[in-house]
Amino acid sequence: MSETTRQLRFEIFRYNPEDADSEPHTDVFELEETPFMTLYIALNQIREKFDPGLQFDFACRSAICGSCAMMVNGRPALACRTLTSDLPDKICLYPLPVFKLIGDLSVDTGTWFRAMVERTEAWIHERLPFDPDATEERMSDDIAAAIYENDRCIECGCCVAACGAANIDSAFLAGAGLNRIARFQMDPRDQRTDADWFEVLASEQGVFACIGMMACEDVCPKELPLLDVYGYLRRKSLATALSSREK
Amino acid sequence: MTQTLVTSAKRQLAHEIISGGTGLVLALFMWGHVVLVGSILTGERGFNWMATFLEDYYIAQPTVVAIFTLFLVHAVFAARKIPAQLRERKRIADLAKGLKKSGREKVATRTAHSPFRPHLESMLWIWQVRTGMIMLVLGSFHLILLGMDVFTPLFGDIVGIESSTSMARVGAGLWLPYAILLLCVEFHASVGLYRLAIKWGADLWMSRKTMHRIEQVIFWLILVIGGLTLTVLAGWVEPPLAFLLDGAAP
Repeated sequence: MSETTRQLRFEIFRYNPEDADSEPHTDVFELEETPFMTLYIALNQIREKFDPGLQFDFACRSAICGSCAMMVNGRPALACRTLTSDLPDKICLYPLPVFKLIGDLSVDTGTWFRAMVERTEAWIHERLPFDPDATEERMSDDIAAAIYENDRCIECGCCVAACGAANIDSAFLAGAGLNRIARFQMDPRDQRTDADWFEVLASEQGVFACIGMMACEDVCPKELPLLDVYGYLRRKSLATALSSREK
Repeated sequence: MTQTLVTSAKRQLAHEIISGGTGLVLALFMWGHVVLVGSILTGERGFNWMATFLEDYYIAQPTVVAIFTLFLVHAVFAARKIPAQLRERKRIADLAKGLKKSGREKVATRTAHSPFRPHLESMLWIWQVRTGMIMLVLGSFHLILLGMDVFTPLFGDIVGIESSTSMARVGAGLWLPYAILLLCVEFHASVGLYRLAIKWGADLWMSRKTMHRIEQVIFWLILVIGGLTLTVLAGWVEPPLAFLLDGAAP
């Protein structure tokens, strides 16, 4: 490890919307860097040593629960997955934009994701009556792998926070929402037609509201191929519009 | 079962295709434009021959009209995504600056597996808006000026585009707005093509990194040719390709 331990300076956004006396400001905390220190560890140390009232979310500390996303020096990232050794001495932590602020670094991603899931009806739409005796239909390995790839989303909200379009209109489906659409659209068990999908994904908050800043893919902690998703959905809606004209 | 598509969704798709399509045509036209104006690199004779040819065969006149139309249509449809409020633009600009900076900070200990992948494209988007605004002003000026050059000969005994007028203008000071316009056009077009390719999924064939590299090569190549053309037009350097027409009939 490094010969000299670094002194890290944390600038952390503080505001409690529930408290009428609270004013948005930043607090500064100094910590000595320890080997393999993550932001999650650092935040816990700050809470133990300096301020037990500091609010931030975490659950799994292994990049699976998606709770601890925050703006780290201007970029959305998971606190548990970010090593302080990858950061300069000065570390600015802000809550994710777009989402409703709960307090300090804690935001409510649940409401946004719930609304997105309801709007895109992100579940398998089966139109035939269920037959318990029928054998399950086979799915090709390629499709299964593609669906699995898109299903790795942990709903941390990094892509939404980094998205220029979502920062202007929080109803924009953003990377996570469009990824969800692609996941169900390519699933052969889902009986929704391309025309059904077209209305969802080409709506005013759908794929064409994307302004192409490409940040969603670059900040995704799970490295999901979000730009491939966008290309797939654009081509799919073009094909749907062209084929509906022929009919 | 009849398939009825929501008009709004259809309209969104149409807008996207219009803005992307006009952008593509304009970007491709600009490459051709650079080659045509680049005829000055062979000397005034080459330039005048090219200009006379394009005017006598009525290629120049409809092209000016078509390009001006595409230019305005593109401005309207591409601008639909620019936030209207200043505070919204500031939000986007702050976001883009933060994203650009965070991947570039020098950290001695940064691991190879750092989650901070460099991200420049958001800032490129901001600059595309800025260059687009500049082009709306300077491009209109250029199109009107050259439109007049091309159309007035149809009504009177005047010559159209010719090297002496163009060189006098550029040398007298128009080199400055033209240099700005050139830089804006080439930046806007090369980044625009890159973004358009990514949007429709060209990264299935080619990695994004490769495409970004190609975009940069095209940008610098056209910029150098265009810059050289401008210095020759301003009369600062002799046409470097004049030897090509040495043996040609006058």
